[in-house]
Amino acid sequence: MSDTLIPETGMSTSATMRRNFWLGVWRVMKRKPSRMAGVVIIVGFAFMGVFGPMFFPDHLPDNPNAITQPPSWAHWFGTDPQGRDVVALVITGSRYVLLSAAVTALITVVFGTSLGLFSGFKRGRWDTVLMRITDMKLTIPGLPLLLVLATVWKFGSPIQMGLVLGLLGWGGVARAVRAQTLSLRERGFIEAARGLGLSTKHIISKELLPSMAPYIAMNMLIAVTGAVYAQVGLFFLGVLPYESDNWGVMLNLAVFQAGAMITTNALGYLLAPLLAILLLTLGIVLVVDAMDEIFNPRLREE
Amino acid sequence: MMIIIRRLAGHLARGFVMILVVATISFFIINNIPGDPMAARYEKLIEGGMAPEAAAQAVKVLYGFQPTGTLWQQYSDFMGGLLHFDLGVSVSRPGTPVLDVLTEAAKWTVLPVLVGTLLSFLVGVVLGVYAAIKRTGKLGDALAISGSLLHGIPQYVLALLLVVIFATLIPILPADGPVDILFDPGFNAGYIGSLVEHAVLPVVTYALSAYGGWVLAMKSSVVTVLGDDFILAAELRGMKRSIVFRYIARNAILPLFTILALSLGLLLGGAVFIEKIFNYPGLGLLLIDSVNDRDYALMGGAFLLITASIIVANIVADLFYTVIDPRVRSGEDAT
Amino acid sequence: MADQAPGVRIDGLTVVYKTPAGELPAVRGISLTLEPGTITGIVGESGSGKSTLALSLLNAVQPPGRIAAGSVEIDGLGDVVGFAGEQLRKARGAHIGYVFQAAQNSLNPLKTVGKQLLDLGRSHGVADLRGLVREARELLGRMGLDGARVLDSHQHELSGGMRQRVGIMLALVLNAHLVVLDEPTTALDMITQANILKIVREVHAERGLTTLVITHDIGVVAEVADRLAVMYGGRLVEQGPTREVLGSPRHPYTRGLIRAIPRLVGDIDEARALPGRPPTLVTVPKEGCVFRERCELRMDVCDTVDPSVVADGSRIVACHAVTVKEHAS
Repeated sequence: MSDTLIPETGMSTSATMRRNFWLGVWRVMKRKPSRMAGVVIIVGFAFMGVFGPMFFPDHLPDNPNAITQPPSWAHWFGTDPQGRDVVALVITGSRYVLLSAAVTALITVVFGTSLGLFSGFKRGRWDTVLMRITDMKLTIPGLPLLLVLATVWKFGSPIQMGLVLGLLGWGGVARAVRAQTLSLRERGFIEAARGLGLSTKHIISKELLPSMAPYIAMNMLIAVTGAVYAQVGLFFLGVLPYESDNWGVMLNLAVFQAGAMITTNALGYLLAPLLAILLLTLGIVLVVDAMDEIFNPRLREE
Repeated sequence: MMIIIRRLAGHLARGFVMILVVATISFFIINNIPGDPMAARYEKLIEGGMAPEAAAQAVKVLYGFQPTGTLWQQYSDFMGGLLHFDLGVSVSRPGTPVLDVLTEAAKWTVLPVLVGTLLSFLVGVVLGVYAAIKRTGKLGDALAISGSLLHGIPQYVLALLLVVIFATLIPILPADGPVDILFDPGFNAGYIGSLVEHAVLPVVTYALSAYGGWVLAMKSSVVTVLGDDFILAAELRGMKRSIVFRYIARNAILPLFTILALSLGLLLGGAVFIEKIFNYPGLGLLLIDSVNDRDYALMGGAFLLITASIIVANIVADLFYTVIDPRVRSGEDAT
Repeated sequence: MADQAPGVRIDGLTVVYKTPAGELPAVRGISLTLEPGTITGIVGESGSGKSTLALSLLNAVQPPGRIAAGSVEIDGLGDVVGFAGEQLRKARGAHIGYVFQAAQNSLNPLKTVGKQLLDLGRSHGVADLRGLVREARELLGRMGLDGARVLDSHQHELSGGMRQRVGIMLALVLNAHLVVLDEPTTALDMITQANILKIVREVHAERGLTTLVITHDIGVVAEVADRLAVMYGGRLVEQGPTREVLGSPRHPYTRGLIRAIPRLVGDIDEARALPGRPPTLVTVPKEGCVFRERCELRMDVCDTVDPSVVADGSRIVACHAVTVKEHAS
């Protein structure tokens, strides 16, 4: 046990680290095809959010003669109480969900990374204060807070929604980045770079960030998943006005208006957004699993 | 012992500050929401012909503080009320103190969620050990994947799927409220049976959605402990398998107890979706309703209660850890 | 059972590890005899397979490794390679004591030493648990510790040297007469090291043990061992009485190791580190001599033919260069 039979070869520079990293990504992806599937799913959703709504008119055609229809050849998942095609609703509704998720991602990364870096770099008093705040934020339960905030914000645009969710969700990324910064610091990484006469800016942008990117990405994905759930959930709970079409509104209407819990006619209406969420979850779980293996050497060796 | 007391003091101080912060947030929620509900009500009462003093008094009864005082005065009024658990009066349920509404609702939240949490903990821990021991086999893989998926699926998706399956497609379980109104409340078989029947789906939903986390946490904890030298050492000393297993189990479950204590803190606010979907009159549904009714006193109270329970659970979890882990007990930093 | 020191005969032992590149040997075709009542030291760099060899004595090679061939005959016990299940478990601890490296945490962090001692007693069906505790206390006292206090302590309350003595106590308390010490002094300070080695020597003599010490530190072997075996790349390259091997090393690797030790007297430059790196499981040559890459006496034959183990009196060497020289003389 004490014998390490295969000593790890020390990586000398961050450049080789990066190259090995991409090789590792490829290897991990190749080993389990399911991970490839995860990437494909996520890319597919991105396409759906960007280009999907372009294929449909702004106002989807309704049909008073075909309201809340069960699935058929014409309407794969049936129609909603206004007679609109459910599949079209899912596709047009994806833009709100995915756009706000993208905004959330941006904010968690920018906020979390800079605060985490600052905290880990400065240490001392600033670190303590910032981490206390992060702790406090992590203590306050997210969903109840969002419910309360729903009385103030209307979340009309996806950008607003993403903004609020991002501001609530940067804690995890900040913690991860700070832990990484501290650990790199402990390993003499930063001191060594300083010793080589590199500027702080260079150390952060060329050395620290590339080696941390994976952790940031992973924590970002987790934050984004949480954000997608939260926003769909908020609309589903019906505390926000139904100003826009999105999956959460669909769920709410399916359950509380079309009566999916009573009649099987509305099942397609309920299941379509559910399946979309499940598929997106699956994609994210698979990608996070792959990332986990790439960045967690202990799992890799097994 | 001294260390435990010192830690306790530190935690209590920190917890007190946190509760203060959250109470302040609650105050501003009630007070500073656009359209100032209090001022609106005050003006409405005056328009209705009430004398300013009487109107102010009426509003004070409702919200716990004077609508006309300075911000600081209102704040100290509110905090003073908190000291004797006075959270004001609910608007949507006229005349009922917020505290009463909250305790009534808490009853419906605590029991199902507690049962669901403990159930998922037991099953998750046992299967987590199994997943760790068989981690190279097919079954271990399957357990881990099922864990990640259930852990990843949002609670409401799970709940809706269960409803579709067991209440719509194969209608064998009720999904509408906590009890059949046909039965008289009380200790009779019909009522209790109906309670239990109605609790099945919510409890199972909660257990399933929490189960994934336990499996994953226990698996990784056991894998870590299995790699520890003292396990190999015990085997090389010829310890019985049952004893080695106990060593593994006790060391692996230790961190999970902390998570359990923490998750019990999330208990009060953890069932928002489930309560909405199953129409269960717990704190989560109360919070949603108060948001929809713009019943700010009730909303602030519910939010405060939910958050305070998390803070208390944090303190309990840490103290608990101090008691069960000898390393912390004797003052060595175990992190 | 055998109340005196048992002899151990390892014969043709091969241990392989499963890797993505197939099963690779960590220990290959090793034969070694531990005479009853002696202390044998095994020296090697990390990755030489010495720890794997030590674990083989208890048939405890951890997966993905396994014993692929060979036998380990222990007097009064039999070939442990064929042992399994309860038979194997009972042999461990009761007949063979294993002492972990001091830096490793060989104790359950949540239980006191005393409770773990009782677990050990119960595992081996000791009827007189009070007697066991008394014995443990005496052993600890013998090693200069306050037995009662130590038994009442958790691991984190003990220093490295104390833990190591507790480890030795747990290995001996069931009256095992074959003891394996894996890096007994690594990660201890110099004075504690000297203390532990003194204890090992004394306890060995007092209780009549057969002892195997695994180490990367040739000084430790010089201090305690009667016989010395040198491992490289999963092979035993040289063995013999300690004084003789250290005095006139024959294998070029042994010579290199000894030359690498700095002397108190003389020029510091005289201490020369061995050039190159030790092989790993993957890089160790499949055929020919495992040491040839770093060898100053390398010949053509070394590339293709594994040097056979040649005995010369009490000395055993596996090297083409040495054998050729002897044939010539």
